[in-house]
Amino acid sequence: MSVPYQLICGVWMAVVIVASFLFVGPARGFREPEAARILFYHVPVAWLAVLGFLTAMVNAIHYLRTRRIEFDLRSASAAEMGFLFCLLATLTGALFAHVQWGMAWNWDPREVSILVLLLLYGAYFALRSAVEEEERRASLSAAYAILSVPPMIFLVFVLPRIVFSLHPSDTVKSGSMTPDYRVVFLASLVGFTLLYTWIYQLRVRVEVLWRTAKHV
Amino acid sequence: MKKSALFGLVVVVGFVAFGATAFKEAATPYVSFSQARTAPSAVQIKGTLDKRSIRLDSINRTLHFDLVDEGGDRMPVSYAKPEPGNFRQATEVVVVGRYDGHEMQAENVLVKCPSKYQGRGVEHPPYVKIPPHTP
Repeated sequence: MSVPYQLICGVWMAVVIVASFLFVGPARGFREPEAARILFYHVPVAWLAVLGFLTAMVNAIHYLRTRRIEFDLRSASAAEMGFLFCLLATLTGALFAHVQWGMAWNWDPREVSILVLLLLYGAYFALRSAVEEEERRASLSAAYAILSVPPMIFLVFVLPRIVFSLHPSDTVKSGSMTPDYRVVFLASLVGFTLLYTWIYQLRVRVEVLWRTAKHV
Repeated sequence: MKKSALFGLVVVVGFVAFGATAFKEAATPYVSFSQARTAPSAVQIKGTLDKRSIRLDSINRTLHFDLVDEGGDRMPVSYAKPEPGNFRQATEVVVVGRYDGHEMQAENVLVKCPSKYQGRGVEHPPYVKIPPHTP
C-alpha cells in the first residue's frame, strides 16, 4: 500500500516546525538571536510566491498554445497561490524586520519591491474580474501572466541587490549556515513545496468543478 | 514568427531596462548625508558604523556614534533609546531621524542582519543591554 504524499507532507511539516524550535540554536549576531528561526518560514513562502508566479506563466503559455480552458484555470490558481504566499512573505518579513531591524516597515528597497510585486499581481485579478467572456478573459490574463514574469524576476532578484538594502541577499549559499540551520532550512523548503503542490491541486479541482457547475 | 518573437523580446528587455533605471532611485528611501543636513523633516540615512566612535552617555542615557558613507563623509548620531542587542557587531547601520544642526537625532536605529545563520556550536558574545530609561 502506498502512502499518500499528503500524509508525508503533514508529518514532514510537523517535524520541521518542532525541529525549528527545539533542534536549531539561536543565531549569532541577531538583535534577537532566538527569533532568527523565522528564516524557516519566511524564505520558503517567498520561494513559493516565485514558484506560483512561474507556474502561472507556464500554464498561460500552454493555454495560448492549446486554447484549452483547463490551462487558464491552472494559471489563475497558480497566480492566486503566488499572491497568497507573496502576502505571507510580506507579513513574515515585516515581523522579521520589526524584531531584528527595530521597525516593521521602513520602506527598505526589499519592502518597496515586494509591495510593487503585490500590486502587479493584484492587477492580474482585477483584470480577470473585469472581463466577462471566458475565452477573452483567458487570453488576456495569459498574456498578463507571461509579461509579469520579467518584472517579477527584477523585483525579487535584481533590484534589492543593486541598491543598498538592510535585507541580506546571500543567505541561500553554501557555507552561510551552520548544519542545524542548513538541515532544517532545506527540509522546510521541501515541506513547503509539498504543501504548495497539495493546495494547488485542490485549488485547480475546485476551479474545474465550479466551472462545470456553472455550465450545467 | 521568428522575427516578431525577436522584436517582442527586444521590446520586453527594453522596457525592463527602462523600468529598472527609472525605478532604482524611487525604490530607495535612504538619502545622502548632505541631503540629510538640509532636509526639513525626518529622513533615513545609511552608513558604516565607526566602532571607535561609540560612546555611551550614562547620565542622559544616550548612545552616540558616527556613521561614515562611501565618500568618507562623517555623520554624528545621538540615540536616546536602549542600544540594539547586536549593535556592537554591526557594520551597516540605518538611522531614521532629523538633523538638529550638528548631529542626527535618531528616532530609530536599524541594524543590518547578518547574512550568516550561526546556530549550534557557535559561541555567543555576551550582550550588554542598557535598561530602558524611566522618564
